[in-house]
Amino acid sequence: MQLGWRSNLYFLLGLYFSQVLAANPAERFDEELTLRPLRDGKNPETLDNDDDPQHYTLFPLALGQILREYAVTELHLSLNAGNWNYDRWGYPDEPGVGTGAELWVWMGDGASATVDQRWQGLQGSLPNWTAPHQLRHATLPSEHVCTENLTPFLKLLPCKSLSGIASLLNPHRVFDADWHGLGVHVRYREDAGVEVRLAFQAVFDPIRSSPDKRRDWSLRSIFDRTVGKACPVARSSEIHVELPREQSYTLVPDPSVINDRHATYVLVDRHEALDVAMAWPGEPAFQYPLGSAATPLTHLSVQRTLKGSSQSDAKLSVIITNNLPVQIQTGYLETMPWLAQFYLHTLRVYSDGHSRDDLSSIVSYTPPEPHSRPALLQAVLTLPPSSTVQLTMDVWKPFLRYTEHPPDAQRGWDLPPAVLVPFSLGGGATLDQNASLAAAALRGPPRRIYTPVLLVDLATPDFSMPYNVIIMSCTLIALLFGSVFNLLTRKFVVVRIAGGATSDLT
Amino acid sequence: MDFRVAFPTLVAGRFLLAFAPLPVSLKDDHLLASPLTSYSRLQEGIYLFQNGIDPYSGGSFRHSPLLLSLFSTVVPLTRYTTPLLWTASDAIAAWALVRIWRLRQNVRESQRDGLIAALYLFNPYLFLSSLAFSTSTLENTLQLLSLMFASRGHSSASLLALAFHVQLSLPAILILLPVLLLNLSGPASHLALPRPFPANLRNTLPLLGEFVAYSLVLSCAATLACGNFAWIEKTWGASLLLPDLTPNPGLWWYFFTEMFDHFRPFFLMVFSVHLLMYVVPICIKFQHDLLYASFLLVGIFATFKAYPTLSDPGLFLSMMALFPETFPYFRHPIVTALLHIHASLLLPLFHSLWLTQGTGNANFFYASTLVFGMANGAALLDAIWAGLRIAVGEKKGYEVVQE
Repeated sequence: MQLGWRSNLYFLLGLYFSQVLAANPAERFDEELTLRPLRDGKNPETLDNDDDPQHYTLFPLALGQILREYAVTELHLSLNAGNWNYDRWGYPDEPGVGTGAELWVWMGDGASATVDQRWQGLQGSLPNWTAPHQLRHATLPSEHVCTENLTPFLKLLPCKSLSGIASLLNPHRVFDADWHGLGVHVRYREDAGVEVRLAFQAVFDPIRSSPDKRRDWSLRSIFDRTVGKACPVARSSEIHVELPREQSYTLVPDPSVINDRHATYVLVDRHEALDVAMAWPGEPAFQYPLGSAATPLTHLSVQRTLKGSSQSDAKLSVIITNNLPVQIQTGYLETMPWLAQFYLHTLRVYSDGHSRDDLSSIVSYTPPEPHSRPALLQAVLTLPPSSTVQLTMDVWKPFLRYTEHPPDAQRGWDLPPAVLVPFSLGGGATLDQNASLAAAALRGPPRRIYTPVLLVDLATPDFSMPYNVIIMSCTLIALLFGSVFNLLTRKFVVVRIAGGATSDLT
Repeated sequence: MDFRVAFPTLVAGRFLLAFAPLPVSLKDDHLLASPLTSYSRLQEGIYLFQNGIDPYSGGSFRHSPLLLSLFSTVVPLTRYTTPLLWTASDAIAAWALVRIWRLRQNVRESQRDGLIAALYLFNPYLFLSSLAFSTSTLENTLQLLSLMFASRGHSSASLLALAFHVQLSLPAILILLPVLLLNLSGPASHLALPRPFPANLRNTLPLLGEFVAYSLVLSCAATLACGNFAWIEKTWGASLLLPDLTPNPGLWWYFFTEMFDHFRPFFLMVFSVHLLMYVVPICIKFQHDLLYASFLLVGIFATFKAYPTLSDPGLFLSMMALFPETFPYFRHPIVTALLHIHASLLLPLFHSLWLTQGTGNANFFYASTLVFGMANGAALLDAIWAGLRIAVGEKKGYEVVQE
């Protein structure tokens, strides 16, 4: 295992397909691909907008029907595999990088069915859900992403995977990435219409597949494909490459537009296949940078662990490091299934070793109900400047029924990621006012951070024993019952023991 | 030793134990605290209650709302008040036990008072549960108070104590019948000279009505404290529906862990009816000595209850001290004692092997609960046999058997 930063080698691939609908039968579809060698943070480009869906030429019909039926005003669905390493890769372009499936939905009022009924209908096979107000949030940490998810995802696009940037998505290569995730984002914009954004993100490691341990990459080497032509109905189709800081690289072919941070290739009017390649010709093999001198890439660094070796209790520990020299206030959202139940009265906060219970204030807590709903904990944490804050809370592990254990019961259960949402920098100021502070240290304001999933190991019964347990317990109970019954119902008999075997009844 | 000296000494010893810093954390031990009696869950419920969250909306808090309101308003649970409260509860229970003994022997004081108090206060099953701050200590106290008042003939106090006990733990309702009858007969020992029930059975009806009235008032108080009726399903319903499968020294948890869902309702019904079945026959057979009948029923519920802890058989064993006339007639006291020693050594060992060290599996602990069940059953059978045998008497050259 390599120590230090591998971030130089990973490329963030963000593919954004935005489809929106027009008032007049001109629906708009834009696609773009962003590639960057990680260690530069940059926000991705935002997308287009439009009006009401009247026609379904470009807009996916299946998605539109679901949105209409359940009166959904905003939906964000993401399906990710792997752990997004904030310390090495910085912030992702799409913030929803929690492992597994995650669904946020805002449902409008005034629909025929109640919000809860519509939510139940919408979420389908996602079982964990919480219900604050009209916002519904569901998360399923053990959902795996594979080709069966990619194919219907691509079917939502007007060109499917036949032309355009989406044709690059080769399942063999894409699911081999160190981290990958799909996202579907639906928004209703006031001035325009419904905007659907389909995003695919992945982090590749060219050094892994390079025989010389070089970090040169090209579309052919990453995807084993090139972009043939743009999708004919796309209004714009572009590839953005973020340029690394050092100047010793080469980029072929020549981009349409280039400045010192970005190179852009416009695909709409191209007729030949495009293969973008970046190489570092003077570099023999990549040298991993040493980690100790690295500046933090995010405003907060989080570590969440479940401590304890017992199968009846554990301790949840969340360690948050504030990398900025100003105070940050962040929201902390924890959706914990009933497989690990909190003792909320044991929540303790330590800052750099000192007990500081005043740093956390609980906004809301919904206790978990076994077999029914998870716990929802929302708290506001105040992180002092350049400090490390540790939250600990005792957790007890329930004991499941025989039929509730999964087939591989000894593996344990996945616990969904916690979400940190920083919302205030400095003493009470909002993000915008102190954006310059943040921008000075890191680019952009602090953004949502997901912790990795946890694995909780629950005690299992002996799965080979149901019959044996039933007969042994029933035998003991029957033995005792029978003996008590005998003692209570039988008559006493006095038996003469001296001499012969005659017996006298009294 | 004079009881007036012995008793405070024993209680002082218990206070010292309660405040001593124990290296082992007993609070969450599955043997000493069940989901219905655990102190950690009580603290969690009080914390949620004080912060405006309904503690009965989740599945972890299963204590009575009366405890909730008591500990959140009247007596806060802190590092100092909790050991004081639990030791005081044990002291009251020991005192009640001694008073029952004196009432049974019809003396003002006797030589054995100190011994009986010591047998209650230093019974390991009982004092370890008390050190773990399991609320079963409070339940035992209410049980003994109820029996004490019934022995004195103070029926109202006895029924009120029993009503409180039922609020804390539903299986206590099964002690209602012998307590009602004990109120009408006396505690004096008639084991050796059985006679039919001395009072008119119809006199139990007003007492029953009084008990129902007390229970209704307490249930209304609990509903007011809690704000809704959710507590009924979470506290009383737990003993009937077994929602929480946390291991305990009883026989239900592993049985229902391994049970397929299709059969759960049937077996839950069977196990509950099984408990009910013992009440009437034992009261009929021991109608001459209702205190002995209550003692036997305490033993039966300790063995077959849904969420027992070590304090339930602890109460049974300590109450055995009230009936020294039966000691010569035990059938197999050595077997019983050895089974109890065996079980009390195996239970914590296998529990730790399964959950803490991970080298054993659930079957080890399950087997030790089976041994513990046999130990309790053996003690019960000894007691029943002795209680009946004593009436037959001795005759040289003859042996008494049952057919």
